[in-house]
Amino acid sequence: MNPIKKIFDLTEPHFTGSGRFARIEPLFDAAKTVFFFPSPVNRVMPFIRDNLDLKRYMTFVLVALVPVILFGIYNTGLQSGIARGQQLDVVAAILLGVRYVLPIIVVSYVVGFFWEILFAVVRKHKISEGFFVTGMLFPLTLPATIPLWQVALGISFGVVMGKEVFGGTGRNILNPALTARAFIFFSYPVSMSGNVWIAGTNGVDAVSSATALATTGVDGGTITQALSQAGFSLTNLFWGFVPGSIGETSALCCLLGGAFLVITRIGNFRIIAGGIIGLVATSLAFYLVPGNASTWGHAGPLYHLCAGGFLFGICFMATDPVSAPGTNPGRWMFGFLIGFLTVVIRVVNPAFVEGTMLAILFMNVFSALLDHGVVKYKSSKRIPNV
Amino acid sequence: MEKIKISKGFTTPLAGMPDIGIIELSDPRTLGLSAMDVPHIRAKLMVKEGDRVQTGAPLFYDKRDKSVQYVSPGTGVIQKIVYGERRRLHEVVISLEGAEDFVEFDPISLSALGEVSRQVLVERLKQGGMWQALRQFPAMDTADASHTPSMIIVSLSGNDPFSPDPGVVFEREQTALHFGLEVLKRLSDRIVVTVREGSLERLGKVKSSVTHTVPDIYPAWNPGAVLYHLKKDSAENSSWCIAADHLVMMARFLMTGRYPTQKIITVTRGREHRPHILTRQGAPVKALIGDFIDRSLITTGRFNGRIVEPDDHLGFFENTLNLIDTPDGEELLGFIRPGKAKATVSKTFLSCLFPEPKEVDCTRHGEVRACINCSYCEKICPNDLMPNFIMKALLSDEIENALECGLLDCCQCGLCSYACPSKIELAQILRHGMDALYKDKQ
Ligand code: SF4
Ligand code: SF4
Repeated sequence: MNPIKKIFDLTEPHFTGSGRFARIEPLFDAAKTVFFFPSPVNRVMPFIRDNLDLKRYMTFVLVALVPVILFGIYNTGLQSGIARGQQLDVVAAILLGVRYVLPIIVVSYVVGFFWEILFAVVRKHKISEGFFVTGMLFPLTLPATIPLWQVALGISFGVVMGKEVFGGTGRNILNPALTARAFIFFSYPVSMSGNVWIAGTNGVDAVSSATALATTGVDGGTITQALSQAGFSLTNLFWGFVPGSIGETSALCCLLGGAFLVITRIGNFRIIAGGIIGLVATSLAFYLVPGNASTWGHAGPLYHLCAGGFLFGICFMATDPVSAPGTNPGRWMFGFLIGFLTVVIRVVNPAFVEGTMLAILFMNVFSALLDHGVVKYKSSKRIPNV
Repeated sequence: MEKIKISKGFTTPLAGMPDIGIIELSDPRTLGLSAMDVPHIRAKLMVKEGDRVQTGAPLFYDKRDKSVQYVSPGTGVIQKIVYGERRRLHEVVISLEGAEDFVEFDPISLSALGEVSRQVLVERLKQGGMWQALRQFPAMDTADASHTPSMIIVSLSGNDPFSPDPGVVFEREQTALHFGLEVLKRLSDRIVVTVREGSLERLGKVKSSVTHTVPDIYPAWNPGAVLYHLKKDSAENSSWCIAADHLVMMARFLMTGRYPTQKIITVTRGREHRPHILTRQGAPVKALIGDFIDRSLITTGRFNGRIVEPDDHLGFFENTLNLIDTPDGEELLGFIRPGKAKATVSKTFLSCLFPEPKEVDCTRHGEVRACINCSYCEKICPNDLMPNFIMKALLSDEIENALECGLLDCCQCGLCSYACPSKIELAQILRHGMDALYKDKQ
């Protein structure tokens, strides 16, 4: 017999029934099902079932995140090096990046899982694999300088208020990772704005402007000039060699992950496509309106696309199936409106330069309404059968 | 011949396509009349153990309509009456003895058919144990003879991807099929005869009777799916349907005055290609399946059917048996394996790049979770339903909502449950919803 299987079989009695650790059975169960797929025989029709299950489904999101995570770690090290005036090679940059990023991810997972397990044990539920994704997405939206206690607080809020109070995965209205991030953003704004985007620069006045989105044209210059002067050229933004949240600087990596999600059909292409169309259309509209050339209204679609967390948000956050609409027309509208709102918030409301997060959370609230409208419309087209 | 376009459904090729050869089994020692494959029936027994019965003699009737009789498929002694849960009649087993002895009716010729009144025809079919072959939508209950349906759908292909090939079954039955269609014309003005495109070329002369073809996507040939795609107004919702092999039986019964006892079935398993089997109505499962492993499941349809035990007998509506194997053990780290040979409608296994037929097993492949709104169920539903929304409406007791979303258009193909990554029993939840509603109405 497989040795791993043996360990589980030997320890199982302690965790079930009247065993000593029966209270933490969900934990045991979660560990066991990670290694061995539970597969009871079907007793009701259909007697054959698809091989895809939720574990694989969620795992694929993590796979899609791999380029983002790796690049995020590298870039964190790289930016930190630049700020210190050092030219780091790839290995050194990655090592430095790991030092900053890994603790954030670990704290997010450990604290998040604590809550997951607590709720699972109390409710006698299974531990849901959805958390694997939430626990990774949240750290990727943070600056590397975030204090770890805030990470812990944020993920606690995200898991408990964003998900568990609604009844757990599948029943939540808001995306839990974004809820966590929004909590940090509003409760501890200092940690999320200003010169916080480069790790290890406390006290070093290395950059004049925090992120691309906080840049405005000076002395009547256009926004694009200002951006390239500050190092935010389109190329840099596309590759991601700029300061910013750990996971969202590289447009390329987000697009790679997004493409993987679309190809494997884990992420719905309608949301991503709708979002990009919405963003491009809205930013073009602003671009064509004559006016102050020094604001983000005149940055044009490409800058809007590559700067900030839009691609990260639309590819990984908006496609969270639970908090997005469940109908196809609803998904198009949902995506489009996120793109639209992102630009509007960026241009019109300079207090919240990062519009994507707010746009997605806002649309999360409306996704049930979009679905409702679509279902009503579709039902009205059916030949009644009562 | 018109084409019905149905694009959604199950397209993954499965291993185990039956051979189009045919073998004949000698008469088994027992035959059974099952009550388990008849939906909604409330069976009332008319015989007891030890009684002698002729072929075609009534064994039980439906309490809701006493004239609908279920008759013995053979001549012999009632060996056993098997009850299931809550003393529901499971089946009546007859041990075959002596020469075949039929309950005889007057034969009707094709030319005389026009002179027989509709009422006499219906009575004859009910007495002869053939009427129940006609089912009425949406609950698939026995057709209500007092009602004239706007259409009757005849399906030449069965309920499974590997149901008997119509070419094999109807090769020699052209006259009977023709006769049967004439009978149906007495019951409704519109008769729709469907066959899957892939079976068309082997159909021979029967082809001329076909009015509509459907694509080779399961369950496009299911009468429920056909009705959904054909209907134009709600009067058609209570149409009828019948399987073509039953229609042939019906015709044979009327033409000869004797209960027709033969039937062609398929038995499929893994990568084997077994020939079709010519056997008797109600044959014992054990005699049909040959060798099998205990762990495997025997069903009368992969997606839609019931589980049978080796000691059971094949039901009136069933003409396929599947032996679905259980895998040896749980798979280490199964959720992240590339899966070169795994059947899936998703694009998360390497197997989606390889078109060869996949083997399937009878396990669930995962744990039950809450619905995550992924729409896999919607993407596969042949009748454009959103099973996830209907399921949620049913679970929160919003029957009106569920009906509005088309609950009664569900043809119980089982595909939504097949595809759901959260392993929710959608088809079953919908079935229960429909049944509860139907019971309420009665
Ligand atoms: S709801 Fe499910 S069972 Fe019903 S027709 Fe659609 S896929 Fe088939
Ligand atoms: S397939 Fe399952 S999880 Fe996905 S939407 Fe349908 S019911 Fe929900």
